[in-house]
Amino acid sequence: MNSHHSCRSLRAAAGRVLAWAGGLAAGALLISFPAGAWAAPEVSAESTTILRLGNTDFPGSKDLYPLYEYLHLSLTGAETKGNSLSLYFGGWGRGDLGDKSFNDRYTDGDLQYGFLSYRWGRNNAVANAGRQFVTEGVATQRLDGLYLRSDLGAGFAAAAFVGSPVNTEPNVKADDFVFGGRVTHSAAKYYTLGVSALRSNAGSTRYREEEGVDLWLSPVRQLDVTGRSSYNSVTEGWMEHAYTMSLRPTDKLQLFADLRQVNYRDFFYRVTTTALTFQDRLIDPGERDLALGGGIGFTPVKGVTLTADYRHHDYEIAREAHYYGGKVALSFPEKFAAGGSVHRMDGGSDPLRYLEYRVYASKSFGPADLTLDFIDVNYDSTLSTNNVRNVFVVTAAGAYRVTRSVTLAADVDYSKNPDFDNEVKGMLKAVVSFDAALEGRGKSEK
Amino acid sequence: MKNSKLLILLAALATAGSLVACAGTTTVARVHPEAVTGMPDCTECHQDSWGAFNHKAPDFMLKHKVFANSRQACASCHAEAFCADCHAHKEEIKPSDKYKDAPERFLPHRGDYLAQHKIDGRVDPASCVACHGRQNNEGCKRCHR
Repeated sequence: MNSHHSCRSLRAAAGRVLAWAGGLAAGALLISFPAGAWAAPEVSAESTTILRLGNTDFPGSKDLYPLYEYLHLSLTGAETKGNSLSLYFGGWGRGDLGDKSFNDRYTDGDLQYGFLSYRWGRNNAVANAGRQFVTEGVATQRLDGLYLRSDLGAGFAAAAFVGSPVNTEPNVKADDFVFGGRVTHSAAKYYTLGVSALRSNAGSTRYREEEGVDLWLSPVRQLDVTGRSSYNSVTEGWMEHAYTMSLRPTDKLQLFADLRQVNYRDFFYRVTTTALTFQDRLIDPGERDLALGGGIGFTPVKGVTLTADYRHHDYEIAREAHYYGGKVALSFPEKFAAGGSVHRMDGGSDPLRYLEYRVYASKSFGPADLTLDFIDVNYDSTLSTNNVRNVFVVTAAGAYRVTRSVTLAADVDYSKNPDFDNEVKGMLKAVVSFDAALEGRGKSEK
Repeated sequence: MKNSKLLILLAALATAGSLVACAGTTTVARVHPEAVTGMPDCTECHQDSWGAFNHKAPDFMLKHKVFANSRQACASCHAEAFCADCHAHKEEIKPSDKYKDAPERFLPHRGDYLAQHKIDGRVDPASCVACHGRQNNEGCKRCHR
């Protein structure tokens, strides 16, 4: 027993060590790459400065003027035989010019990601070291550590990761060591089947043990099925089955259907926010939701889309709910976009009976663009908070491209909601960017 | 015992090395060769499996978690910051502030979400987990202590 306990403590310590190892490996990657490759790196950088203006009714946070600075940077060395080494960095900092906006602190900040990535020109092979976001089957995980991925022979591919999980502001004790991987088999154009697993520990405690299968299946070009099932080995129950089927009989018509079953006790087992642990019992932790949805999308001419959709939630404990409606969307990139939607929610309780409307329009005028967005939710009966029946927000946003690299923007929200009769919020934004990838090649979208 | 574990490890590494050597596939382009603006309908150019990535499909948002397993394909058009805006710790800049100038994009938190989150949270709390289950919790902690 002691040795078992010691083993798990060692794993927790290993998580911290691996976080450092990730940094060391990143350094090793940096040093091992030919120095000449960094002579003229491809650089993308963006600075976004945001000043928000608004009021809240939280104690000690009445007048809020938080000033944010976001920085994103990527450097990619010259490719040699298709191999390339890149450095990615993204982080932010905040200073409150008015009351404290969060956490009893006037300043805050975080590193969103910061890692070195080596991509090989063959086999879709990649090695990442540092703080990164891993998406491999059951893992949708930020971690400080290592990630490796490569195609193997005969249609197989494999990925593995190990490190220290990045959890922010947890209400409950979080894990400190995570590892896992995914193996796939693909037949080009037809399918990819994946099997994945994730393990994590919090000190000496088994924290998360999840396994899953995922698939993308396209027996014919007009049909594809995507989905995932995940199993919780700690609670010994299925967390989720989520599958979507899309059928495109013609270029103008698309039909889709989806199924999602979630077992709350297994799915929410290791979230770190009490908002999703259901301690207040507003939602029964033993709930099970089977959601079935579907719809149809029609594109009569390029840039115009008509959509109708329906979703049915069948709960094991709460009463069922239906959500259905339609949307019209016009989209002509960098010129004009407009649309509107109406949806109805019919549920088993007063808050789940409402009509939801949205109308928006966005137009470019040379270097400037203007957007108007109106969202209204009209409840059948008054909400429990302040007897409000109709909630709406209208937003006006404008942006002006001073130069190709500099954009100034501002927006104003006006809303009526259960917390405020008349709420006005504003935001000023300045974006300075440089993106070498835009120079005559494909676009890198932020 | 130590020797047998070492042998197993070496055998696994050798097998993995052989499999990698046998793959012989070409890595997807690091940067998409054609400029893409707005949300693309990938089927306009791609008649093969890449067409499934059609961002204008009404169910694309539901499927993007599966497509995200092919991160290298996403990265040919999207910067790392694109994922991080929702899935990494970004403090209180709500997604409603993201793409206000591109309202045709689907985002889960358009408008004033403080009132609506109580409703959506009861209908489908599982949809919150990918972004808020283990991070981006500052706003939650104000009331959910």
